[in-house]
Amino acid sequence: MFSLAKQITPRISTLGRLQQPSMKLGRAVGARFYHEKVIDHYENPRNMGSLDKHDPTVGTGLVGAPACGDVMRLQIKVDDDNNIVDVKFKTFGCGSAIASSSYITERVRGMNIEEALKIKNTDIAKELCLPPVKLHCSMLAEDAIKSAIKDFRTKRGGELRSAPASA
Amino acid sequence: MASLSDSEYHDRSSQAMDALTEYFEDLGDELENDNYDVEYSSGVLTLKLATHGTYVINKQPPNKQIWLSSPFSGPERYDYDQEKKTWFCRHKDESLGTLLSREVSEALETDVVVPIN
Repeated sequence: MFSLAKQITPRISTLGRLQQPSMKLGRAVGARFYHEKVIDHYENPRNMGSLDKHDPTVGTGLVGAPACGDVMRLQIKVDDDNNIVDVKFKTFGCGSAIASSSYITERVRGMNIEEALKIKNTDIAKELCLPPVKLHCSMLAEDAIKSAIKDFRTKRGGELRSAPASA
Repeated sequence: MASLSDSEYHDRSSQAMDALTEYFEDLGDELENDNYDVEYSSGVLTLKLATHGTYVINKQPPNKQIWLSSPFSGPERYDYDQEKKTWFCRHKDESLGTLLSREVSEALETDVVVPIN
């Protein structure tokens, strides 16, 4: 099972720790900070938890790998009109990964799954002001929602009821 | 297609990273731009491309990949394609070298051909 990793210092996969100004080989490495939006999601994660993966209306997406440093589990509960009525996440990883997955759960709640499939990692990265090295976290969150939707569809056996016709 | 062994990955990725570093360092010398910076350490290449943004290209050993973060096209992952003999992204259907050459050429308005396989 995953627990929300309360890591004090951020990690980037195999790169070692990013922290406040540090001396490395006699040269100061610039200070790096988390954007306040990332800190907000980290301290107040939205929709953290789990849904019943055996529920036929629940799709579970599991992406990432422990060896890489980030694992995300995203679950959606979908109603008969293919709208996402509930969503939960659990993420093991750095602050940016946690924020990316927390943020995406906020975005998709209430969305039709077709809409949710259109969310791009660039939207997430822009919203959270992710630095270059953390763009991969936003990609992982995009992968997570796609994976959850795919799982839901697979469970449904490809029998999708059509989305409600727009007025 | 068989995947790389650990030592093959290590060799090929180091080769690619070294080639990229050298190329971008030389390019920097040519350009003489204060806002241009190249740094390579611990398998991570950081390329500050003047006012256009920062590239981060790094080895990702657990996946035997090279990961890219582009200020233009965002994040991407490259596997070593043993047939094409290049670091390739199936998702974008192009190699890392091709993407970098195109993006950097456009950004710097000069002809850039990144020499990596």
